[in-house]
Amino acid sequence: MFYFLLRRFSLMVVVLLLVSIIIFSLLNILPGDPAMLILGQESSPEALEALREKMGLNDPLPVQYLHWLTDSLQGDFGKSLRDNNDVTAILLKKVPITIQLAFMSFAIAVLIAVPAAIISATRKGTSLDYLSTFFSLSGVSFPPFWLGILLILIFSVGLGWLPPSGFVSLAENPVRSVLLMLMPALALGIRLAAELTRMLRSSLLEVLQSDYIRTGYAKGLMERAVVFKHALRNSLIPVITISGLQFATLIGGVVIIETIFSIPGIGQLVYSAILARDFPVVQGAVMMMAFSVVIINFMVDITYSILDPRIKVGGER
Amino acid sequence: MKSFKGWSLVAFTLTILLIVSGCSDSASGDSTREMGDKSGRGSGNGKDKLVIGLDDDPPQLDPHLSSTAVDRQVLHSLFDKLVDIDEDMNIVPKLAKDWDISDDNQTYTFYLQEGVVFHDGTPFNAEAVKFNFDRMLDPAMGSPRYGEVEQVEQVNVIDELTVEVQLKTPFSPFLGDLTDRAGMMLSPTAVKESGEDFSRHPVGTGPYQFVERELQSHIKVSRFDEYWGEPAIIKDVLYKPYTDENIRLTNLISGDVDMITVVGFKDIKKIEGNSAVKLSAKEGRGFLGLHLNPAKAPFNNKDFREAINIAIDRQAITNVVYHGAALPAVSAFPPASWAHNPSLEVPKGDLTKAKSLLEKSGIKDPSFTIKVKPVETDKQMAEMVQSMLQEIGVTVNVEMQEIGSLLSSAIAGDYEALYLGWDGRTDPDGSVSRFFMSNGYNNYAKVNNPEIDKLLTDARVSLDQEERKKIYQRFSEVVFDEANYIFLVHIDENKAMKTNVNGFIHYPDGMIRPDRIYFD
Amino acid sequence: MMEQVQKGEITSVKTEYPRIRLMKEMLQRLLENKLAVVGGVFTILLIFLALFPGVVATHSHTEQDYSAVLVPPSAAHWFGTDELGRDLFSRVIYGATTSLKAGLISVGIALGIGLPIGMLSGYFRGVWDEFLIMRITDAMLSFPPLVLALTLVAVFGAGLENAMIAIGLVLTPSFMRLIRGEVLAHREKEYVEAARASGLPSWRILFIHILPNTIAPIIVQATLAIAAAIITEASLSYLGLGTQPPTPSWGSMLSTGQGYLEQAPWLGLFPGLFIFITVLSINLFGDGIRDMFDSKLK
Repeated sequence: MFYFLLRRFSLMVVVLLLVSIIIFSLLNILPGDPAMLILGQESSPEALEALREKMGLNDPLPVQYLHWLTDSLQGDFGKSLRDNNDVTAILLKKVPITIQLAFMSFAIAVLIAVPAAIISATRKGTSLDYLSTFFSLSGVSFPPFWLGILLILIFSVGLGWLPPSGFVSLAENPVRSVLLMLMPALALGIRLAAELTRMLRSSLLEVLQSDYIRTGYAKGLMERAVVFKHALRNSLIPVITISGLQFATLIGGVVIIETIFSIPGIGQLVYSAILARDFPVVQGAVMMMAFSVVIINFMVDITYSILDPRIKVGGER
Repeated sequence: MKSFKGWSLVAFTLTILLIVSGCSDSASGDSTREMGDKSGRGSGNGKDKLVIGLDDDPPQLDPHLSSTAVDRQVLHSLFDKLVDIDEDMNIVPKLAKDWDISDDNQTYTFYLQEGVVFHDGTPFNAEAVKFNFDRMLDPAMGSPRYGEVEQVEQVNVIDELTVEVQLKTPFSPFLGDLTDRAGMMLSPTAVKESGEDFSRHPVGTGPYQFVERELQSHIKVSRFDEYWGEPAIIKDVLYKPYTDENIRLTNLISGDVDMITVVGFKDIKKIEGNSAVKLSAKEGRGFLGLHLNPAKAPFNNKDFREAINIAIDRQAITNVVYHGAALPAVSAFPPASWAHNPSLEVPKGDLTKAKSLLEKSGIKDPSFTIKVKPVETDKQMAEMVQSMLQEIGVTVNVEMQEIGSLLSSAIAGDYEALYLGWDGRTDPDGSVSRFFMSNGYNNYAKVNNPEIDKLLTDARVSLDQEERKKIYQRFSEVVFDEANYIFLVHIDENKAMKTNVNGFIHYPDGMIRPDRIYFD
Repeated sequence: MMEQVQKGEITSVKTEYPRIRLMKEMLQRLLENKLAVVGGVFTILLIFLALFPGVVATHSHTEQDYSAVLVPPSAAHWFGTDELGRDLFSRVIYGATTSLKAGLISVGIALGIGLPIGMLSGYFRGVWDEFLIMRITDAMLSFPPLVLALTLVAVFGAGLENAMIAIGLVLTPSFMRLIRGEVLAHREKEYVEAARASGLPSWRILFIHILPNTIAPIIVQATLAIAAAIITEASLSYLGLGTQPPTPSWGSMLSTGQGYLEQAPWLGLFPGLFIFITVLSINLFGDGIRDMFDSKLK
């Protein structure tokens, strides 16, 4: 077990290093000079050169990378090229906002998925099941930004129930904060719900057909009790796995949803920083995203291996 | 075994939830405290706070490092300039109450206001002026201001309140440049103290002083009580960034924003039809148009450039893309500018003439690519040009590049046509020489036209506006004739505000000076 | 955006029947799945639209009419007109070509790279497989897919071609992983052992013997990946970095439409509806194929 953990952990470190190298090299072949972007049409050749020097853009790439790596290991992701603020500080401001969004989406997803999957699995083959399958596939097929637009059309333009977009922090005005984030969370959550429903349904089906559940029937336990006590609990394993896998997608979806709804979280930050060629910010933010994905996958792996001793040392099949 | 599985899963899920909620808890806890402080200080009786909705979060509050228009909106309340403009773009005194210009147009002597102090208590004097010029001229600063003040040979302190600026060559646009960031005076003490960090604690002599800033959230400035001039009426001004124009407008109409600095063209009618808000429109002093690259086919053919120039129907673009809030353009200078040339006629999309020019050019199946920013109005303009030129048999491709790549392509001369404009400057020179002089920074195609160079240099030497006017009129004719840049529109400068916002003076540079504004 | 893709891994097929009878059985199972049939029919319709948009479109998709800007849906313009007075219905129809092209080509790219590398990596294993291919795959999969696509498009430059390459590259690691896993599972099987014992060269074993047996999960994953790729292309175009004007793309139409939600809601409605229907049809169809191959879930 210890070796397994050690191996897993060292693999994780390797992956993170690779992630940082990939993002670093990608950013450095990006066309568009950040110095130019900052100075815009007002740049003179002298000013450009001075700014490049100041930003360290004239150093050789490996030197820039090593600088960045050693600093970031100490939690210092450098300074934004655009406004000279600490990237770490910027990230810390944005993270809670995105977490709030992710958390609300996840809550919505679970609220939809669990009942839908139970209905669908316990009434397999009925029209209810078909309907639930259809809806969950629909959920996956919605382009998230269109879902966002639709929600704005319905709830803001049409009914006037919800403010179209914007952001207020939880602390400033909790009610308005949650209200403002309802539509974006729905736009993300419906997708997630669809995925969860599909996964939960098939794992429920599998568990329902397993021997010990059949025994439960034989003993004359109520159907409802069977489902809740045994099946649901056991079918959570694949659900957790898929939630781990979904995490990367959720974060990716955040980019577009935060842009549509003007939520100043990590997603909007990454998008605007890519456009502004603000390398330290993109590096910091993407590293943080990748880092959380890797960590979550690592934890899922660990839990999985604890739960299912068959998955061990080999790791990959 | 089975139940162990289940419970550890539950425990695992709970742990994650705890971590997540823990994070958001501690974060919100912090901001609660901040918010508590703020409301304690801020809201008193009635309205003593003006909320201005910006189109972006200003990257730089150091005037010597600033390079975006959105910075300037905030800078104009924190810093005074040596001289300012009035509503009709005349140059008027500010920190310099008077000035002399030597006959050779190379020595400018400024007589400074007395009793002026910076927000940090540092007295404003001739030394401070010299300090500011030296900072802009320091090559290590890499200041975007360098191009505006590079004519400065040296700055001499004559006495406490008199300062003399020596220019290398006669340069009549100099005063015009000083009405903006190049003329803003920073506290030398604060600059020395905070160095690179000045942008985070900007200190000037303006009617408002910097209070606090939260990135992507707000910048707060407050009335400066020792202001040398008339004190500001409204106590606090809060600048909030809204990058999305729909959201900006929504917050103006139904939120707590009192004014917005940039209004979407498609929204003008909506604002005019809403009694809660009002629009202030002013003819803009900038221009939008297409850089054609004469170093590349097909634009190395002058007839072809001319054909394109007259084939585009500016009025249609004005109506459809800019919803009428613009003027069709034929030169860099809008009709309101003294440098405008009324004898140049705006092309109306003369397809017959364009076709014959095209034939004369001898180019078969012409095609070219326009590079534009991925901005809705720019894209629409490009699609309209595409469709207009299709009618004379020219194929136009459109390629969207974000501003960073676009500027890089521009500087590298890697384009056929490029849609980029300029927001204009107080002196006509600031609007054109950077694009059309052979050594201009924004002369992307490196066009060298000796006649243009001579005209623009002459206009810099002369101090006589009538004489300069004639020069610029001739200049506009030459530029139109050469058609290396196709002027398309002068877009209006629009501001929108709540109906109860009064005292707003719409300056031609589009910058809000909030000190005269009051609520009604 | 692309998570369906990763799931292909879970599917695996145990086929040892005579082929013809099996195919007949599978087809029958597919036809019994009503949702899959509906999806299939719609997919075929959309492919027809994409191939022959001119047949269905009522107007030119590029012609601008400045006197009929933002006209609501009517008999003359079924979906109304856009901000430059173009017929929205015709633009939406032409948008099908862009979308399906983007879906097919980017998945083609992903397969073209992922298939050979995945097969070799899984069959020969060793240091390359363990320390390079798999770790790079892991690293790429830890990027949020849209962020990676966005960065790649920023590197290559905006445009449909570059967007397709970027999406293809983003999809590659999941194909690589799936195919590698399949090959890994098959290389220890008896029929492969037998082939190896009889001295067949490795490439023959790989491509003649193993490949046909792994084709089912690849088809399933490819179908779902097409759907994901279509959404990603639309997202990139929505952000202004995909398809360039005047080529109609559902994503960029939506991004324009968002600015006119109050004045002209139809601009934000119809293009999205078509993305939705397209992706849903392909997903339904793909789901049907999955069930067809995999009887376990039924």
